[in-house]
Amino acid sequence: MIFSELKELGILGINNRVGRYILRHNKRANYPLVDNKVLTAERARAWGIATPENYYIIENYGTLKNLGAKLEKLDSFVIKPAKGSQGNGIIVIKEVIREGEKIFFRRSNDKIMDIDEIKHHLSGILSGLYSLSGQSDIAIIQAKIDKHPIFDQYSFGGIPDIRVIVFMGFPVMSMVRLPTKASDGRANLHQGAIGAGLDLSTGHTNNAVIRNQVITHHPDTGHELSGLKLPFWREILELSARCYDMVGLGYLGADIVLTPDQGPIILELNARPGLGIQIANLAGLVPRLEKIQSLGDQDLMAKERAHFSMTHF
Amino acid sequence: MKRIIFYITAFLLLFPIGLLLYKSQVLQLALVPQKVDDVWNFHLTVKSRDGEAQSSFPLPRAGLGMRISDEKIKSNDAKVFLDTNDDSLMATWSNKENTKNRLTYTAKVDLKTINIKQIPRDNTQSYPKEFDRYLKVPELLADDEASIKNLESAILEGTEDKTSAIRKIYYYVEEEIQRNTEVKTIHGTLTTGKGSPLIKARLFNIMAKRREVPSRIVVMIRLPEKRNSEASKIRFTFANEVYLNNRWVPIDTNRGFFGKRPDSFMVVHRNYEEIEKLISKNKVSYSIQVERALINKYNKKDFKKEVLRSDSFFSRFNLYRLPLPLQAMFTTILLIPVGTLVLALARNIIGIPTFGIFTPILLTLFFKETSFGFGMLFFLTVVAIGIGERYVLDKFHLLAVPRLSIILILVIMLMIVYSFSSADLSFVSQKHLAFFPIVIVTTNIERLSIMIAEEGIVNTLKTLLGTLVIASLGYSLYSISALEMFMFSNPELLLTIMGLLILIGKYKGYRLSELIRFQDLVRQKKKFEGLK
Repeated sequence: MIFSELKELGILGINNRVGRYILRHNKRANYPLVDNKVLTAERARAWGIATPENYYIIENYGTLKNLGAKLEKLDSFVIKPAKGSQGNGIIVIKEVIREGEKIFFRRSNDKIMDIDEIKHHLSGILSGLYSLSGQSDIAIIQAKIDKHPIFDQYSFGGIPDIRVIVFMGFPVMSMVRLPTKASDGRANLHQGAIGAGLDLSTGHTNNAVIRNQVITHHPDTGHELSGLKLPFWREILELSARCYDMVGLGYLGADIVLTPDQGPIILELNARPGLGIQIANLAGLVPRLEKIQSLGDQDLMAKERAHFSMTHF
Repeated sequence: MKRIIFYITAFLLLFPIGLLLYKSQVLQLALVPQKVDDVWNFHLTVKSRDGEAQSSFPLPRAGLGMRISDEKIKSNDAKVFLDTNDDSLMATWSNKENTKNRLTYTAKVDLKTINIKQIPRDNTQSYPKEFDRYLKVPELLADDEASIKNLESAILEGTEDKTSAIRKIYYYVEEEIQRNTEVKTIHGTLTTGKGSPLIKARLFNIMAKRREVPSRIVVMIRLPEKRNSEASKIRFTFANEVYLNNRWVPIDTNRGFFGKRPDSFMVVHRNYEEIEKLISKNKVSYSIQVERALINKYNKKDFKKEVLRSDSFFSRFNLYRLPLPLQAMFTTILLIPVGTLVLALARNIIGIPTFGIFTPILLTLFFKETSFGFGMLFFLTVVAIGIGERYVLDKFHLLAVPRLSIILILVIMLMIVYSFSSADLSFVSQKHLAFFPIVIVTTNIERLSIMIAEEGIVNTLKTLLGTLVIASLGYSLYSISALEMFMFSNPELLLTIMGLLILIGKYKGYRLSELIRFQDLVRQKKKFEGLK
């Protein structure tokens, strides 16, 4: 059979992911908790889980009017659609420049925007250009997260994030996504960011890919990728395991960022995490998922589940 | 749960198949209407020879096994008189001085094979008066008469009934006389055993008449066999008809048919003796062209009758009972589920990316409403305009709805331009064209340009290509008219499609595209294990 090699490696395909894991373990009613980042943030606050601070929530075009006065008070921020996916519609402003009456905004890629361009982008978000279903959306103006110094040699432009696939509350696979020049500073594999697989027991990188191609060095910094070991590794896995308790999705992807001061925080959650993580790890998800399934109901705490994953995967 | 799905799927797959079997085996119904493709375009041009004050020429007339429609007769200036008699239609026109008068006749002719299998014995003694002309034996030369008498005493001795006699004459003329266009007298034919088709027809005709069987020579043409073949000049050829048991029975001694005329022969006139002089070369010159009409229709009318006659559940529940416009609509609509099947296969088993879920099907319908080439051209132009204008309008910082509306207006303008630049847009159905581009614009253009910005031109083109490929596949379904008729005649197949969709929906294996996606993983993993 032509698929036998994939099957031997335990690679999870899209149909299998949807049919056996997402449809069975993710209740539709819980989707808004992850698809809408405003709801995710509210729920996280209630659970005492750290997320980036939301400065403003822009729900309608009317609030765009005095936007300038609001943004003037900030030093840096991120604009996000609440229901966006794959990083679409996100703009990172790293500096707010005040020139007399006027204000300008410097993006992470050093392009300058004026207030009208910001408003235009926001109205695009509100009209649903970037939302999952194309329906009208709300925009979030969020605190910009700074890069943890450990990533200095491993990232170009933006902030790396750590994706953890959590199945029934157990972390099963993880990777760190490192922005590149090609990805325009975004931690998005589709756009050409590096995906580096992480050893679940140690937080060490074990392999790295760009667009499904295996690489050994960062294309922009030239730094060797194999030497990275993430700090707070146990905390990262515990945090991702708690997300299962928080939103009740059996199969989810937790996106975590390392802040220089707060440690790991939840950036967003994903009910349909991608399968590229298997390439980044050179490993299939199926054996791990089946291992978790074979445990049956254990009623373990997040800490215990994270520990199980660290010792077994 | 699994068991329920299994039973439901099995039912959905098998129930319609059972119905099909019931319809075809128990009710003896055909599953699709008969195809009607033996319709011919017939063109006849007749030119009068110089000096003829008046000309006449036979025109085909509907009869057994032959239906005629869309008849058109044209002549320059001359008035044409039509004379109908039992044998044919006769056109007569008077020629003005010093002008070559020409008559053209065109018609659509639908032919059916005549096949009379049982011809009982015939002992008819007298015939009505109008049969006189079919019974009157023409005057014969002494030589001819003598040789005919000889033959009669040899083959017809002791034959009682007319049918048997005709059969004997047929066997003799058909088998014993070889085709040879040189031999042109009856006497010569009977002594040499060779004769032209006309002579054979005449011999048969005379011998039938001598046994007091009404008989006539039919003038016909043979239709070209191959489609679109550049046929050699079509000339008249001859066969016979005899009146047995109150009906005319076709007989062809040249090609060996008794009681049968295949649908490859078209009768132009049914009594050669009447027109013998008219069609001779020194009176007129004529040319005939025939071609298969490019219609590929199904005989829905007869099929409907057949289904209604079956007096079953299906005679009440079938789509042929609907008014015609609704029938046309459902013919189109019933292929959409087949399209979704293709779409589901392409997306979930192969893994071809598409814009939106049903965009390819919308596109397919658009191609169907217009034409493939035009549809594709229009769609690509709309996409180009959409993308181009979005980049321009992006600089104006317009809100999304007004901006989309402007693109929409541009599309309407494009439609106007198309209408002006294209001389003939009649192949475009006016009703549907207007709505389609609007759907495409509102659902796709904006996403398309965002996709270009976010995921790059390569991914966008892949998706665009995937969409077009599936739309083209869907369109090719519509070009299979048999499939269309099959779905329309047996709408219960929708259940089968549902069953197949459940099977696809339950497929948890890999997609073909994942072979490519994960090929590097497999390669690296192998290398890795090789090192160990």
